[in-house]
Amino acid sequence: MRAQFLGRSVPASVLAAVAILAAAPAVLPSFYTYLLALALVMGLLATSLNLALGYGGIYQFHHAVFYGVGAYTAALAITRWGWPAWAAFLAGPPAAALTGWLIGWVCVRLTRLYFGMLQISLGSLLWVIVLRWYSFTGGDNGIHGIPLPPILRPVENVYYLILAAVAASLAALYLIVRSPFGATLQAVRDNPQRCQVVGIDVRVHRLVAIIIAAFFAGAAGVLYVALERSVFPNMLFWVLSLEILVMCLLGGWFTFLGPMLGAAIVVTLRIIAGRYTENWTTILGIMLILLIFFMPEGVMGHVQERMIRMRSQAPRPRPGAGPDA
Amino acid sequence: MGKGWVALLMGVTVTLAAGMFLSPSSVAQVPTLGRNVKVGIVDTYSGPPAVFSNDALNGFKLALGEINRDGVLGARIEFVTRDERFSPEIGLSMARELILQERVDLLVGTINSATALAISALAREQKIPFIVWISKSEAITGAQGHRYVFSTTENTAMAGKALAEYFARKPFLRFWIGAEDYEYGHAITNSFWRFMKRAKPEATLAGQTWWRTGEPDLVPYLTSIMAGRPEAAFFGTGGAGMANVLRTMLTVGFAERVPSAIHTAIDFTALRPLGLNVPEGVTGTTDYLWYYPETPANQAFVRAFQAAYGTPPGFPAFHGYNTAYFIAEAIRKARSLDREKIIDALEGLRIRSPVGEVEMRACDHQVIYPIIAGVTKKNLQLNAIVAANPVILRGADVMPTCEDVARARRR
Amino acid sequence: MDLQVIGSQLLVGLSRAMILFIVSAGLSFVLGVLRVPNVFHGSLYMIGAFAAFTIATGLGSNAAGLWLALLAAPLAGAVVGLVVERALLSRLYEREHLMLILFTWGIMLILNDVVKLIWGADYRSVLAPPILRGAAHILGAAVPRYNLFLLLVGPLVAVGMWAFTHKTRLGRMARAAAVDREMVGVLGIDVSRILAAAFLVGSYLAGLGGALVAPTTSITLGMDHTIIIEAFLIVTIGGLGNLWGALVGALLFGVTQSLGLLIWPQFAIVFPYAATVLVLLVRPTGLLRSVW
Repeated sequence: MRAQFLGRSVPASVLAAVAILAAAPAVLPSFYTYLLALALVMGLLATSLNLALGYGGIYQFHHAVFYGVGAYTAALAITRWGWPAWAAFLAGPPAAALTGWLIGWVCVRLTRLYFGMLQISLGSLLWVIVLRWYSFTGGDNGIHGIPLPPILRPVENVYYLILAAVAASLAALYLIVRSPFGATLQAVRDNPQRCQVVGIDVRVHRLVAIIIAAFFAGAAGVLYVALERSVFPNMLFWVLSLEILVMCLLGGWFTFLGPMLGAAIVVTLRIIAGRYTENWTTILGIMLILLIFFMPEGVMGHVQERMIRMRSQAPRPRPGAGPDA
Repeated sequence: MGKGWVALLMGVTVTLAAGMFLSPSSVAQVPTLGRNVKVGIVDTYSGPPAVFSNDALNGFKLALGEINRDGVLGARIEFVTRDERFSPEIGLSMARELILQERVDLLVGTINSATALAISALAREQKIPFIVWISKSEAITGAQGHRYVFSTTENTAMAGKALAEYFARKPFLRFWIGAEDYEYGHAITNSFWRFMKRAKPEATLAGQTWWRTGEPDLVPYLTSIMAGRPEAAFFGTGGAGMANVLRTMLTVGFAERVPSAIHTAIDFTALRPLGLNVPEGVTGTTDYLWYYPETPANQAFVRAFQAAYGTPPGFPAFHGYNTAYFIAEAIRKARSLDREKIIDALEGLRIRSPVGEVEMRACDHQVIYPIIAGVTKKNLQLNAIVAANPVILRGADVMPTCEDVARARRR
Repeated sequence: MDLQVIGSQLLVGLSRAMILFIVSAGLSFVLGVLRVPNVFHGSLYMIGAFAAFTIATGLGSNAAGLWLALLAAPLAGAVVGLVVERALLSRLYEREHLMLILFTWGIMLILNDVVKLIWGADYRSVLAPPILRGAAHILGAAVPRYNLFLLLVGPLVAVGMWAFTHKTRLGRMARAAAVDREMVGVLGIDVSRILAAAFLVGSYLAGLGGALVAPTTSITLGMDHTIIIEAFLIVTIGGLGNLWGALVGALLFGVTQSLGLLIWPQFAIVFPYAATVLVLLVRPTGLLRSVW
């Protein structure tokens, strides 16, 4: 039932959203265009995580690493190896996917919390290397003022680049979710044992999901470079990974577009609430706790569920306990 | 027409003419800005570094109070602050918001060197002046310096050079270096040792000890340094890390056996949380002390600061205070809020600071401060650790040369 | 390389390992009995350290005050832990791990601001009790007394925890609840109270770690961030919920880090992470048997 609902609403709502977003820079002040661009980048990052987490049921605890690898690949290719910016941009996602393949290959033997912890240790290893390797990565200072083509100077142009890339990525991710592979992935999530019995290679499916998720996280990292011209070791830190998880939870990880919404909420909160209070993390913490208590299916998930209930006029049990159920 | 009329007319004319010259409306001939100046401040206002950034902000506010009494070309200087939470990505977003949304005329910040460098790159792209007031990374006005970035704080290059030249006057030859393994630790250590070798080519390095950032327990490190029996030691660490070194020295009786040097070891802000738990006899440097030199200008600044905030100013307050005056004077000199004109005006600008006239060096946009060197000593009257026998090293002597900077930027 | 240097590095590693062990043991115990990956365990450690500061300075930093700080400060962590467990966490035990991680992270965000509100953003410091200051001379080498003290406390905590879980009724019930919560409930025992007690013990250990680290370091906001990730990695390499595993993991973590400084100072911080990865590659579920 849920799949049907998704099937009808997603393409239409994406088209409408893209149309509205395409018109946005014309009416918005440039700062809000920038904010929107940032929200789109983080949204893509959260959506890519959701492929592994929501659809694959994989404890992808350190997704930020792939984002960081994508961004650092682009940044280092431009500043250290003198690549043209566009070539460097194209190199980011494959590098992230490669990292995803390496880390995923090691981790898929494990499930649940062990998977998550092993991924955190592997990711943290990459993080400390980036943090310490001053001569190559710039260490804890990061790399700033990365030279990009002049066409990317006005924030509006960057915005359109990001919008186009994010829209294309979302379309690709959506097709993957709706493909036979996506269906099998969800079956693996819901009942790995049964899938194993009927001859589905659970590990391979999980690994592929991780690689795809890493690829798009890397794309988000590249887009961040296009927007900010800077990279920092914090992009590979575990705290960011938790923030991305929160975005998925906030929007709802059983919905395709929920993570986009969650990312928009977190990015807005960070900038806007940060203007008025030093304690905005407390606001985030309280929101998180309220959400877990009262709306564990996330905002988008909650709305969807109510709509489904209104249509079917019948009480429906909540979605399964989650990826780990 | 009688003579009386002529005299009267002449009198009126003279009066009018005089009036024209003296009346306020004639002052209006000097260009006015037409609107207030807006400064955007991005800094860490949460977490441990907030102690330093709040001090800087207080110094800045104190100076604004004085400046706005008369105004700058008929305008006031206003400011807005943003908390970057010690995170460069948030800092970048905040800086962008200040530029695009708040439309500030200048940016000021931050204690976090990564954020300072990130915002510096943004300032260059957006062509807006950015003044760094706490971060001591020499890359800011050195290797990564450019037209739009300025520094009103001493940096690791100056501090290392000052401490090395002061310490070289003592008869030690066999040194040990102990340092915290992070950007600041490496930068200041390199600078110290480079200038020590230059000042005293026969100096040798008996060994070095590095520990990780935030290493809780330094006792074993200091004990092993003592075991190496160096004649003197240099420590490359700051903030909470330096406080830890000083406290550990007290625990193991280090300072009595190995004469030591640390930048900021005599610094008031850094020492305050330690109370009297600091060993005596440690050589330190800083660019500002509220109790020295006892000049009328400094005393007036300290009195005003103490009256406003209930505590004596630390070095960040001194930087904040100077930053405000650099901004005000630059705008007066530029007679405009045009960013390029403000930058031109800032280059080579001299202002009166609490420690005398200081200059913003034109070649690298780095402020020239005198550096004070001294030795830690308990002062029971103040119930604090102070610098005994302070010496002032001339600012121009401890700066890297313009050629050094140009070479670093080319690389 | 100087033997003295190697020896002192080893000593740092070992005494640091003791603190890591105490904190990780608490985390592991909660993970084993309650199945909660408690991210705000690090906040309780930080609260323990700040509480030690308040108690010590409140009593004038004399010998008695400093000892009392070491003994009483962990209670602050324990109490905060218990309050959160009773008020909120106890209602979420049926949720999956991911939710629990995010929930406890939310608590960590809030506690961080609470600590800032109470103690301010300044860094603080506490002295060790006078008898533990300075160095003792063993075989001609100067060995810092506080490190010796830590080397004594660590094994004591290990033995204490073992005795608690094996020799007391409460501890045995907690272990039984770890294996099968419903079964314990069927026996007519109030499981909820056992879980609360277990959480209290885990939180106490976090606070104890904080109180013990206080005299050796600058107490700052952000201490929670560094410790929690290390504690999680240690628990993982040791085997989730396994007390001795936490000890082995902590030793591995502490010693590789301090010896790493001798080999390659700039990348010293990389060694424990690399060691963790190596261990998990060979034994993905940890060195010792996980209770899961």
